[in-house]
Amino acid sequence: MAPGVALQAAAQQAGGTTLRVAITQQIDTLNPFIAIFQSSTELGRLMYEFLTTFDTHNQPTPGLAEKWETSADKLTWTYTIRQGAKWSDGQPITAKDVVFTYNLMMTNADAATANGNFVANFESVTAPDEHTVVIKTKVPVTTMTAMEVPIVPEHVWASVSDIATYANDTTPVVGSGPFVLTEYKANEYIKLKANKDYWRGPAKYDELQFVYYKNADAAVQALQKGEVDLVNRLAPAQFDSLKNDPNIVPNQAKGRRFNELLINPGAATKDGQPIGDGHPALKDVRVRQAIAKAIDVTTIVNKVMGGYAEPATGLIPTMWGDYHWQPAAGQERKFDPAAANADLDAAGYPKGADGTRVGPDGRALTLRLLGHSGRAFDEQTAEYVKRWLSDIGIGVEVQLVSDNQFNETSTAGNFDLQVSTWGSNPDPDYILSLHTCAQRPNPDGKGGTTDSFFCDAEYDALYAQQSAEFDRTKRAELVRKMQQRLYEQAPLVMLDYDNALEGYRKDRFDGFQKQPAQDGVIMAQSSYWGYYSATPVAATSAGAGSSTGLVIGVVVVVVVVLAGGGLLVARRRGSTADERE
Amino acid sequence: MTTTQNPPSTPPRTATALVWARRRAAAARVWRQFATDRGGVAGLVVLGVIVLLAVLAPALTDQTGLDVTRAPGAPWQAPSGEFWLGTDHTGRSVLLLTWWGAQVSLLVGLAATLLSVGIGTVVGVCAAHFGGWVSSVLLRVTDFFLVLPSLVLALVLSTVLPQGLGTIILAIGVTSWPSTARLVRAQTLTVEARPYIERSRALGGGHGHVIGKHVLPAVLPLVFVNTTLTVASAIIAESTLSFLGLGDPTRVSWGSMLHSASLHGAVSKGAWWYLLPPGLGIVVVVLAFTLCGRALETVLNPRLAHSAGER
Repeated sequence: MAPGVALQAAAQQAGGTTLRVAITQQIDTLNPFIAIFQSSTELGRLMYEFLTTFDTHNQPTPGLAEKWETSADKLTWTYTIRQGAKWSDGQPITAKDVVFTYNLMMTNADAATANGNFVANFESVTAPDEHTVVIKTKVPVTTMTAMEVPIVPEHVWASVSDIATYANDTTPVVGSGPFVLTEYKANEYIKLKANKDYWRGPAKYDELQFVYYKNADAAVQALQKGEVDLVNRLAPAQFDSLKNDPNIVPNQAKGRRFNELLINPGAATKDGQPIGDGHPALKDVRVRQAIAKAIDVTTIVNKVMGGYAEPATGLIPTMWGDYHWQPAAGQERKFDPAAANADLDAAGYPKGADGTRVGPDGRALTLRLLGHSGRAFDEQTAEYVKRWLSDIGIGVEVQLVSDNQFNETSTAGNFDLQVSTWGSNPDPDYILSLHTCAQRPNPDGKGGTTDSFFCDAEYDALYAQQSAEFDRTKRAELVRKMQQRLYEQAPLVMLDYDNALEGYRKDRFDGFQKQPAQDGVIMAQSSYWGYYSATPVAATSAGAGSSTGLVIGVVVVVVVVLAGGGLLVARRRGSTADERE
Repeated sequence: MTTTQNPPSTPPRTATALVWARRRAAAARVWRQFATDRGGVAGLVVLGVIVLLAVLAPALTDQTGLDVTRAPGAPWQAPSGEFWLGTDHTGRSVLLLTWWGAQVSLLVGLAATLLSVGIGTVVGVCAAHFGGWVSSVLLRVTDFFLVLPSLVLALVLSTVLPQGLGTIILAIGVTSWPSTARLVRAQTLTVEARPYIERSRALGGGHGHVIGKHVLPAVLPLVFVNTTLTVASAIIAESTLSFLGLGDPTRVSWGSMLHSASLHGAVSKGAWWYLLPPGLGIVVVVLAFTLCGRALETVLNPRLAHSAGER
């Protein structure tokens, strides 16, 4: 395979005006109302302008809306839509398109799949004239300038009869963002052209290509060979290997993503009906706290993440400033297996004959740990957690399953422990909502996105308060209190805030605008600045690149061929003997 | 063994003793022929050493070195005096991992083969012996499993069933038996066509007697050869499944080592010491089993023995 890739690289010495980006995640759909994968929401940001977006300091900044104002009671919001902005097919963008998009989400349940939380408290959306949108809400809503909702053209979408099955792949896809999708081949590539009519002005290059790679290793090889110009989601070892390449700039950024270990606190539906088969001992907060004490977050950061992460405390990562919570000096939970052991002894979970603790109900403390198979973090963390918990007399059975199976098992509440991960947004509302009672599912398993099945009156009261609090300082304090409550109740153990690890070829492109501006990411921003700002560098001859990878590749191929040969010989002998009878 | 080469000094007193003496003689004959095949002997020696090392791993090495939380080295260390084969992404010794990985790889390979050959032999003998509709049904089932791509079936099985060694053994075992069944059926048919089987029936031998006393002993050598060859492919199947991340996540096998090596970026890192040992381990064991199996086949399969004589 490696020699084939090299040949392909030689054949692909493309012009300097195409930015080629390697991606490893699939696209669930191009329909922005349904899309929830990070890869497809990122495409949505490139194809469609939002009402407002986030600038390079993650503050709300004008998008389609030029300016906005709110009434004294915070229930009426008036947005002025900019004049002269056009859809990529030349039609003007008006207030009607905005009204159409929001009304569709309010009236059509399918259209509310991906971003329904933003319109949940809307009363009405109207357009008094071509360039004014008025949104009335039932209660004050803090996310009115943080709505990550792609605005779609009414003249295209009005004729769509079934939103749920509409693929939105009639190219070129009419849009308003900096790029227009022109070609899409599932699991092969996605091609976008710079939007010449874009209201901020067209991007500095002609075409943006996303090329699929099966895994990050292949993507890194492609970057070193010059097949692609930009790569993200690198593993620490892959990131380190880029540092020696003179043509490649590695970018280590504070990430929006965090990893956590969920402890099933007793899964239940919205009405409080228990569901799933979580271990009953985990309903005991003392057991959850003891588990949290037995987990060494520093080791996770240093060993699993290779140092490319920060140890986590509160739910909101450090990059969001005053929303992030840090326990006060006396409050913090230290890694202390001895104390965890003592706590469990005191709580009435003595060790049995085989060293595993037994609860008051006589059930052994053997827990299942659910994780994503094929995700490096889950596979490694599972092994560490298993060892740490065995040190405090808790048995762990690791279950690594496919993404779909993972979702099914966790929504049904059929887990004890779970390695989970989320990407956080500049506005903390969404991430905080994942632990409220109302987000627990209906009896049929749908109708909510809970993370931990946590349900706590105090937390819910704080959540309601913060979502109606417009004073930033006061809201931040409420948000921090919520995180403290989560930390104390321990339905989850925060493990780390990932650094985003990316790399780009500086001999091909430069000038990437990061978000946040100093130490931020290029890809997976809460906006489109990274792609939009990329500037082509005058083409120079591509360097030879590192040949170590190729050598290793060849060696692996040889080993595989030898092994295959052995199998073939074995088969051959079997089959000849068979035929001869 | 050497004593059986010469006729015993006193004639055996009972029929059982006579049978055993004849069996010992046959075994010695097989061994003498096997010993003339250098490849086979080499394979056997290599296998013996590897199996011995794998079995003695708990006695010769310290298992705590496998524990990620007590890993002795720094991550990604190249081979050195301290770590002969370097360290993995968590700082564990690759030599130790390879050593312990042999246990799981061999265990799964052997257990899956026993399961596969067991099913195959029962189905094959029954299909040939009973004939009629039993044969038709069994053969259609065999055909069904034969046309299914066994790796895909094994993948599906190990995804649906709970993860663990048992599942892997089951997945490999129930997907690889059809060729054994066909082979055993063919051999049973030829054996049952021989006059002594007819005589046995005429004297009142039932199904159990004919199968147990006459058919099985005649078929077993072939089954044994087939087993040796199947182990090789079972070990490769185990490595493939583990490489794809479907093995027991908490136990080290050669396949799972290759899986974590590629998952954690050993290729980009240029950490050849993490990729080569498990890969070579698989190649050596598979080769050793194949060499043994081929040598045995030449000895035990009468048709191959004849053709060897003509050469």
